Amino acid sequence: MTSLSFATASPWPLPARSRGCAALLLSVLAACGAHAAGVVVQVADQRGAPLADAVLYAVPVAGKAPAAAPGARAVIDQIDREFVPKVSVVQSGTSISFPNKDDVEHDIYSFSPAKRFEIKLYSGVPSRPVLFDKPGLVVLGCNIHDSMVAYVLVVDTPYFARTDKNGRATLQALPAAGYRVGAWHYAMRDPNAQPVQTVQAADGATPPALKFSLTTEAN
Amino acid sequence: MPKPRIHHLRTRIALIFTVLLLVVQLLGYASVHSLIASAARRNTDEQLQVADRVFGQIVQAHRDRLTQAAAVVAADFGFREAVATHDQGTVVSALRNHGDRIQADLVMLVGLDGRLVADTRAQEADDRLFAYPDLIAQARRRGNASSIAQLDGRLYELVVVPVRAPVTIAWITMGFLIDGRFVDLVASTTSLDVSFLGRSSKSDWRVLASSLPSGAATALPQAVGDGLAMPSHNAGLELAGQGYGMRVVSLHAGDEPVVAVLQRSLADAMAPFVQVQSTLLLLTLAGLVVSVLASLLIARSVTRPIDMLTRFARGIGEGRYPPPVVLARQDELGALAHTFNHMREALLEREGRITGLAYQDALTGLPNRARFHDHLQRAIGDALGRHATLAVMVMDLDRFKYVNDTLGHPIGDQLLVEVGERLRAALAREECTVARLGGDEFAVLLPGGDADSALRTARQLLQVLERPMIVADQLVDISASIGIVTCPLQGDDAATLMRRADIAMYAAKRASAGCLLYDAGHDTHTPERLSLMGELRRAVEQDHLTLHYQPKVDLASGDVRAVEALVRWEHATRGFIAPDRFIPFAEQTGYIKAITRWVAGHAIAQCADWQARGMPLAVSINVSARDLLVPELADTFAALLREHRLDPAWVWIEITESAVMDDPAHALTTLERLHGLGLRLSIDDFGTGYSSLAYLKRMPVDEIKIDRSFVMGMAEDRDDETIVRSTIDLGHNMGLKVVAEGVENQQVLERLRELGCDLVQGYLLSRPLSPQQLEAWLPQWRKRSAPLLMQ
Repeated sequence: MTSLSFATASPWPLPARSRGCAALLLSVLAACGAHAAGVVVQVADQRGAPLADAVLYAVPVAGKAPAAAPGARAVIDQIDREFVPKVSVVQSGTSISFPNKDDVEHDIYSFSPAKRFEIKLYSGVPSRPVLFDKPGLVVLGCNIHDSMVAYVLVVDTPYFARTDKNGRATLQALPAAGYRVGAWHYAMRDPNAQPVQTVQAADGATPPALKFSLTTEAN
Repeated sequence: MPKPRIHHLRTRIALIFTVLLLVVQLLGYASVHSLIASAARRNTDEQLQVADRVFGQIVQAHRDRLTQAAAVVAADFGFREAVATHDQGTVVSALRNHGDRIQADLVMLVGLDGRLVADTRAQEADDRLFAYPDLIAQARRRGNASSIAQLDGRLYELVVVPVRAPVTIAWITMGFLIDGRFVDLVASTTSLDVSFLGRSSKSDWRVLASSLPSGAATALPQAVGDGLAMPSHNAGLELAGQGYGMRVVSLHAGDEPVVAVLQRSLADAMAPFVQVQSTLLLLTLAGLVVSVLASLLIARSVTRPIDMLTRFARGIGEGRYPPPVVLARQDELGALAHTFNHMREALLEREGRITGLAYQDALTGLPNRARFHDHLQRAIGDALGRHATLAVMVMDLDRFKYVNDTLGHPIGDQLLVEVGERLRAALAREECTVARLGGDEFAVLLPGGDADSALRTARQLLQVLERPMIVADQLVDISASIGIVTCPLQGDDAATLMRRADIAMYAAKRASAGCLLYDAGHDTHTPERLSLMGELRRAVEQDHLTLHYQPKVDLASGDVRAVEALVRWEHATRGFIAPDRFIPFAEQTGYIKAITRWVAGHAIAQCADWQARGMPLAVSINVSARDLLVPELADTFAALLREHRLDPAWVWIEITESAVMDDPAHALTTLERLHGLGLRLSIDDFGTGYSSLAYLKRMPVDEIKIDRSFVMGMAEDRDDETIVRSTIDLGHNMGLKVVAEGVENQQVLERLRELGCDLVQGYLLSRPLSPQQLEAWLPQWRKRSAPLLMQ
């Protein structure tokens, strides 16, 4: 048995199992038309408080989502010994660069199966960005500063969003189709138990907002 | 008088002191002991409580250190990398490697799902659930967790820390074996014995680690028993014969509880006190010894003077006068000694006075009998030691009673004083002792004296006393009788000498001899005399005495109308014993009374018999001086006369003149009673005594008998004839009959007839005859001799 029971080791894009998830499976609205549409999602924790920095992504029920454009880029800065942003979501195939904007060196690493790497002690902008080519959760840390942590959720879809501080996010420009919408937040008690809701995106029509309730760790 | 020692005052004082002190010391010792014991217990309790805290701190510090170490290891990048990215074999070896760095005895990796990922104890983790989910939960909340837990029967401190990459990707559990080293550390830090006990799912408690010796450790669960379920509570514990204070500390509750037992040996706790206690015990013993010695000394200082005083008082009690007690003390004993000395002086002074009184005759100032006896004894010892002689004289005044009776006791006393002064004056130049023995009896001790010199002195004394004495204007004539003995010839002890001197004195008095040297013949108490006394007594009782009768012839008619009864003793072996050999002797011993009674009885019986047979003869019976002193004499005669129905006129009583004069008052009374019965009285031996005519006149006398010495001498001696004639005239003038005794020839008989004597008695006429002889003699006399006599 070689499977380490890492929370982030679940197969992506969607969890094969959604055990113990208390999330509500809301009624899926029919999506009409092939035009892009925006789906609004509201995420709250188990107590009903709005949850910021939750990641939402939509995977077509049928067919494949379009692959990322070559040379897709993202940036995660290190400012004041913190990763900024703390939570990122990218489509697989995206290269992320880690500019160090502090006056101390950082040594960032990831042991996540989706992307293992280490950028040895450096300052400034590393010469090469890191390519995140496999879906999954990648947790980043700094070997010098234990408190630094960043989450990068790599998904196989270009449709994703992050909630604002009010727990709201909008999945923009969804071509009309049926989607399974997954939700994740780094403070979830069970990272593998991502609730999934199905939504029908239709052109010119705004589907009703999705509501997710996520069980997060206490603190 | 050996007494049990406990009765000695000294012992008792010492004992009381010692017992008191012992009690005080024991109480002190006991209270200190109990104080110490309770202090030790309290101390132990406090120690246990402190130890509980210290133990907690040690465990916590240990835990913290291990947690820290585990956290450091868990943060190691290489370790995290290995754990996060490599296969199980690598993971296990990484666990081992990093565990070794901090000496962890086991390392386990637990996934976030609570299942074992890797375990250094096993190659395969088997996907087992981690046995301590609580620890994981705790670590999730607090960042780390730790607990003491049992694994495989051993005790571990388990520390759980997260492995972050950088979020928690797993939990690493490190186990540190709690073994002897740790226990010893705890034990040495807390100075207690520490044992860890555990129990797995209701099985018995087992000792997992202990600082105790293995034997004691094995017995511990049994010994603690239910106490294991009562943590944070002090209790006592008995283990391997030793007492402990104990406290149970709970380390892990649940199904597999673990506790620590902290033990404090009471003996160890007591150890410092035991030192104090043994010192105290030593002090107590030393104090005891010192107090015993001190109390003995004190007791001695009290009892030694008391012993001294006791010896002193005993000495005084025994009549020795030991020198005064010297007791230089100012206390009560000193005062007592002073009082004793004072008492000694007073006793000495008083004894001197008493001795003076005891040894001196108060009347004459002469030494008394007791002192004379002392002197005599000393003189005897002296004389015997020097082979010398000494003489003792005992002197008795003649007729002193008569002086006392006629002139009165005061004059008698003055007479004795005068006699004493004369004796003292006469012997002033001699080395001698003059003493008054009592009454009218005096004694003289002549050291170095022999018979001749004593006789000379005695005669000299008699002369001195013969000089007329004027007492209270009365001229008193006095004479004395003196008995003399010499030592060692007549005795070598005081008692014998005094008795014999007495005997000689009485002999002299009887013989009117003035003074006499003692002769064994005087002594009624010689063995021969004593046996004679016994035989005489038998002779009286068995009628071996006989009476002979001597006729009294009437000179006028020649007839015989009266006889004198004379006693005869025909001894079975000695033959005839003359009356003068046993009568004086019987008089001295007092046996004469029995003889007189015998004679009277027989004589009166004989007289009555003759009367009955037509032979009218009067019978004269001799009565001695001693008889006269017995008032019952008259009763005796009265009874005999009644018994034989005899007219008293036929019985005559003859008494010697001297018998009357010894004690005239008593004699007179008796004579008057006899005369009152109708008996006739006759004075025997008339002319030999010192008869007072005044007495003669007062006596109820019918007849006087002229002493034979005058009658026998009258033929040749004109003086004797004059006395006989005067006596006959005197008798006739007083109306008395006169009898002449000892008539032995015709010439005397004729002369007596011429002088007018009434009756004659003597061998010329007849010697004393037995009754039968008399009865035969009398008719012949009447037929032949009487006419012859009367011619």
